Amino acid sequence: MRLTTSFITYLLFSPVWLAPAFAHHSFASEYDGQKPLTVRGTVTEIEWSNPHAYIHLDVKDDGGNVTKMLVEGHPPNILRRTGWLKDVLKVNDEIQVSGWAARDGANRMAGRQVTLPNGKMLYWGPPSQ
Amino acid sequence: MINRLLIPILLFAFTCGAQTESVSTRPPKVAGVPRGADGKPDLSGIWQHIGVSLFGETGELRPGEGTAKTIWGPPVGAAPYKPELQAKVSYLASDDRLSPTVQCKMAGVPRATGSVTPLEIIQTPKKVAILYESNHAFRIIPVGKPHPSEVYPSYMGDSVGRWEGDTFVVDAIGFNDKTWLPGPGHFHSEDLHVVERYTLQPDNTLHYEAIMEDPQVLTKPWAYRIILRHPPRDERIMEAECSNEDNQDLQHIQPGKYTQR
Repeated sequence: MRLTTSFITYLLFSPVWLAPAFAHHSFASEYDGQKPLTVRGTVTEIEWSNPHAYIHLDVKDDGGNVTKMLVEGHPPNILRRTGWLKDVLKVNDEIQVSGWAARDGANRMAGRQVTLPNGKMLYWGPPSQ
Repeated sequence: MINRLLIPILLFAFTCGAQTESVSTRPPKVAGVPRGADGKPDLSGIWQHIGVSLFGETGELRPGEGTAKTIWGPPVGAAPYKPELQAKVSYLASDDRLSPTVQCKMAGVPRATGSVTPLEIIQTPKKVAILYESNHAFRIIPVGKPHPSEVYPSYMGDSVGRWEGDTFVVDAIGFNDKTWLPGPGHFHSEDLHVVERYTLQPDNTLHYEAIMEDPQVLTKPWAYRIILRHPPRDERIMEAECSNEDNQDLQHIQPGKYTQR
């Protein structure tokens, strides 16, 4: 609920609408803001790469089938400033990720909110602007 | 008799002219700003476009920040492209993959100032350096020097600076035509000429203005004005080299027009 409220506040009052800031690419060029997605899985790899960082997840369904999911986020410089110290996330951690699905239907998503094994929540990527 | 009349008239005209010149090119002193040993406003430090927040605990806006002013000055209006070039602007804006930023190129001037990532100004009386976090771009700006007689076209151009009162004015030329001005599809030519003004404010923000002229593509000068601020805590410029990992992101981007600015 708190997240929803802050997100709406962000959309309503975000000064980004008033004065453009220039990022790498637009959200909508890769992801569909109308397709929210929440997955839970095991971290298999973390790429602290530019222009975007990625979490590789093994997502297991109720039947035990494993699907690979690539979770795109901010670049490392932004993640570092928003609380993602290197040891926050490790391979084999079980995490939950909320975000939006890729427009091309691939097993790739824009990660917004990550819930860590200790219950702490951090933003991995931007809102669906 | 004529001389007795002429001299006061000339003196009056000269005085008026001098006053006009004084108003137009020498902005008044800005009181209450930190200054260096040379008496000039101290622009040093990390600065970031106030329109974004990368430093809150959640990565979102800080309290009160959502309503903060992000631009200053009069409205700038639409980019005044020559009518025959509007179609090219529309085409370049039609697909995110055509954006130089998506292609991991340096942002150029003045787009680099409006990046979501910060910049650092290191100021001395003789040189002012601007270090941009994005793509390791930098400008080392001599103060009071002319441009070289020949300038090789580059992404960040060639810059020289001077002080007009308390405003640091940078004259930048020598750009290649591979970057965009602010806005989608806003290409320019190698004739781009940018005059930037950096004015420190008593509230510890930095008013940034860039007047862009490009007689090959624009019908008249166009302005870009934003407000920069210091991050809320001690920060350092970090590494943010877009293309080190071969820009694997580019292959994911779908064709079509979205919202890349």
